[in-house]
Amino acid sequence: MVSSSKYKFGLLWSVGFVAFALVPVLMTSRYQMNLASHILIWGLFAVSFNMLWGVTGMLSFGQALYFGIGAYSIGLFVTHAGKSWYLTAIPIGLVTAAVLSFLLGLLVIRVSGVYFTMLTLAFAQLAWQVTFKWYDFTGGDDGIQGIIPPGILSNKMIYYYFILVIVFLSVWFLKRLAYSPFGLILRCVQQNPNRVRFIGRSVKMNQLRIYVISSVFAALAGALMAGVDNSIHTDMLFWTTSGEVILMSVLGGINQFFGPFIGAVILILLEDLIGAKTEFWPIFLGTIIMIFVIVFPKGVVGEIRHLKHRLRATDEAGGRHGTHASA
Amino acid sequence: MDVYFIVTQSISGFTMATLLFLVASGLTLIFGVGNIFNFAHGSFYMLGAYFGYQLVSVWKVNFWIALVAAGAGAGLVGAAAEFLFLRRIYGRAQEGGFQILLTYCLILIFDDLVKLIWGTEYKSISKPPGFEGALRFGDISIPIYNFAIIVIGLVVVLAAWWILSKTRPGRIARASAVDREMLGSLGVNVPLTLTIVFGLATALGGMTGALAAPLRSVTPGAGIEVIIDSLIVVVLGGMGNFWGAWLGAVLLGEVNAFAVAYVSEWSTLFSYLVMVVTLIFKPEGLFAPTRLRKV
Amino acid sequence: MSGRKLMAMALVLITVCLIPFLASAQEKLIRIGAMYPMTGRSGLYGMDSVAAAEMAIDEINSKGGVAGYKIDIVFTDSKSKPAYAVRVAERYITEDKVHFLFGVVSSGVGLAVTEISKQNKVIFVGTDHAATELTLDNFQPYYFRVSNNTFQSMTAGAMYLKELQKEKPWKTISYIGPDYAYGHSQLEEIQYNLKRFGVDFQMVSKYLPKLYEPDYTSYITSIIKDKPDVLVSGFWGGDTVAFIKQAKAYGLFEKMLYFHPDAGGNYELMSAMEGEMPAGLVLSARHHNNWPDTELNRKYVAEFKRRTGRYPTYAAEGAYAGIYAIAKAVEKVGTPDNTEALIKALEGLQIKLPEDPEGFTSFIDPQTHQIVQMQAIGISEPNDKFPPAKMMLGKWKIYKAEELLPPKELIEKKMKK
Repeated sequence: MVSSSKYKFGLLWSVGFVAFALVPVLMTSRYQMNLASHILIWGLFAVSFNMLWGVTGMLSFGQALYFGIGAYSIGLFVTHAGKSWYLTAIPIGLVTAAVLSFLLGLLVIRVSGVYFTMLTLAFAQLAWQVTFKWYDFTGGDDGIQGIIPPGILSNKMIYYYFILVIVFLSVWFLKRLAYSPFGLILRCVQQNPNRVRFIGRSVKMNQLRIYVISSVFAALAGALMAGVDNSIHTDMLFWTTSGEVILMSVLGGINQFFGPFIGAVILILLEDLIGAKTEFWPIFLGTIIMIFVIVFPKGVVGEIRHLKHRLRATDEAGGRHGTHASA
Repeated sequence: MDVYFIVTQSISGFTMATLLFLVASGLTLIFGVGNIFNFAHGSFYMLGAYFGYQLVSVWKVNFWIALVAAGAGAGLVGAAAEFLFLRRIYGRAQEGGFQILLTYCLILIFDDLVKLIWGTEYKSISKPPGFEGALRFGDISIPIYNFAIIVIGLVVVLAAWWILSKTRPGRIARASAVDREMLGSLGVNVPLTLTIVFGLATALGGMTGALAAPLRSVTPGAGIEVIIDSLIVVVLGGMGNFWGAWLGAVLLGEVNAFAVAYVSEWSTLFSYLVMVVTLIFKPEGLFAPTRLRKV
Repeated sequence: MSGRKLMAMALVLITVCLIPFLASAQEKLIRIGAMYPMTGRSGLYGMDSVAAAEMAIDEINSKGGVAGYKIDIVFTDSKSKPAYAVRVAERYITEDKVHFLFGVVSSGVGLAVTEISKQNKVIFVGTDHAATELTLDNFQPYYFRVSNNTFQSMTAGAMYLKELQKEKPWKTISYIGPDYAYGHSQLEEIQYNLKRFGVDFQMVSKYLPKLYEPDYTSYITSIIKDKPDVLVSGFWGGDTVAFIKQAKAYGLFEKMLYFHPDAGGNYELMSAMEGEMPAGLVLSARHHNNWPDTELNRKYVAEFKRRTGRYPTYAAEGAYAGIYAIAKAVEKVGTPDNTEALIKALEGLQIKLPEDPEGFTSFIDPQTHQIVQMQAIGISEPNDKFPPAKMMLGKWKIYKAEELLPPKELIEKKMKK
């Protein structure tokens, strides 16, 4: 029964929105709002990434490329064309990401599985390398600083609400997409590509579509990020950034729509907490994540859902939740 | 054209290629034969270097014995890691993603362990006695140690090829990449096979770490750099294809050697470009015969 | 299953961790928020900085602190990641309410954090990172650096090369350094300064391998083919070790002079390479354990060794200097809360440091907020007084601090941007 699921989604979405909206009101230090900004942006990035992986089965290790395009679009315009270009740079960045992902997508969907993963990695690293080396234009390893959103957005709190609205609208859009007929086909592409062809749909076209959509939202996340810290850096294009969204998705649950978002919350909070307490954060973080990966394969959200199913007396699970992959 | 220089640079390229190949060899084994993506491959390389340091510089063990011991040590750690952790994610849907994550955790954990045990200072190993000099042919000189590395590289490639294609254990190992379940139903102890393969791959990585250490510095964080280079070589050669990896490394080494001399600005981009082109047009590897593609 | 229990545990954990923030400081404290890389390749510099900063703080606090205040410091691993360091800086400023931001080794991190310092009007004392831009192009009034930048090292380097030309005439130079801002700056700055001093030279080739490149073989053979008289090198850390080890076997050091004025003489290299370190290399560092031979330097090095079991790398002295600079400024002003007064106090501050030879005291240039210090360039020779190193530097040539600053026109031009 789709309506019940929609109701639940609507509830979760609203609760989440209100919770994040209250952060600037309830916070005891501006740091918490800053943290929440990061969580929102990475949440969007991770959810858009998971449309590729969890939904369509395409493990891209190169989404950092588009994240970086979104951020560097603003950074480069502000540096070379002037501060007034800040807002215009955002749609330019998104269009660039769309065009590039379309072109690269054509190449990248020719291969699948581990080759697809490595090809996406290679393209992203290529972009990273070029950005890094092209010091005169991009600032290379120095990054670009002094990126301040214009007008009222230069106020940190207003910018926070700006991020909040954009992220939640995007998430809503992606969720609609995931549960539309298009989304259904994407899931079929993951589970049984041949069947998809038999019913007359194109596997490749749909893969290309979702690749472009996912990449555009990754770019949007990057564009928002530029204004949070007021600086950008080539790290945003490095493979470790692509790795972080993979990590967040697994932590939260790749088969749950909100999983990656929760994963972003968990990972960012964990990193901050542990990093603040000890210099030996790698061993703690590595162990905790390892426990998650081994013991909670469905991710936090997935395990909670699974638990709820098990506790439920009557099994209504079969029909309603048929869209997510079985354990 | 300066002939001497061309010869010298070719030899330089060849030397670089051999180390590249050796570092990547463990990865191609585990990836191509075991179908496991060991992102922490670089960490075993780093472990091998530290074990080598401990054996040679601190305990004053003979260099060549230490080399084998360092490799064995890394191999044991690898086998243990596979047995305790990796095993638990076999057979999962989207296993590839989980492998990447789990092995990423290993990177974090090993980096800190190494720091805890040996500290953050840079360590180093000296070349074994007798290998410090260079052979000179007129204007051209080749360090003796580099020569030894080239020889070791060839031995590894030959041994790996022979074992994997001519012996029964080798064929079983290769089969585990194609279809684990089928292999299991044929009566083969698949989990044991995978543990052994993983252990051998990490041993190779560790031995290379110790072997390369006299030419580099031993430092925490050394693992992350080699993983991308290894990946490129594995892609060029085709997964599980040792000769392919060796040839791929030679290609990269030679092109880099000449790019450095003539168009040094862009030499680093070349590796990524080659990787991209290979994956698009011949994903099974530049040097592989077009056989079954793994999807 | 413990899905719910896990959430509960997480909540408790988070609450527990927040408790320290509820307790307010009773004592009068100077609060410093420090960021250093504590993991990975730069971890050594971070850990040494931490040890030296703590050493300085213990020395000061045991004498009763300054102006009735004790110094309190918090360290967080910057991970050499600008995006993460910026969050940490935010936390330091808005939650811990630090009076000073402190540290960083990576220039990329330094540039990102100086932006935060500027926006929040919190003084940032830079103790390592050498990118010249931070005290020129990216200058902002809340930033102070207490260690040399690459311009100063390269100026001294150019002076050395100019003098060398009189004794042992040389003409051709080759450069090799890592392919990022640090490596690029040194290349530009050495050429700029050689030209400025009217040195007749020819740059026959330049090489910029990627940072952390493990294999320099083809670079080495190419450099040998180029036959330069002098090879100017801009590496740091493990890359220097790798390069020297690999080049040694090719006899590179017999064929040309190896000249490495910014980070070539760092102690961690000599400690790592022990007897393998070749003699006759011309190197320098931002602090030497064996120069100057003053009581202050000897005490500093010995105390560091006593506390940590190893001799310090140059980064430590930067952190040490930073703490003392802060202490002196607070002493002058009387309180750590008056930021504008502290800035005035730091501008022109004179502070006697372990690296100051007799008759000289380091001072902070009021215009650029850059510390001005003497530079000593030496030649590697056998010396086993600082084990495990078997070679140290000697045959020093000293350069006056004031002569190492960029010329007025350059400062004006770059700061206007």
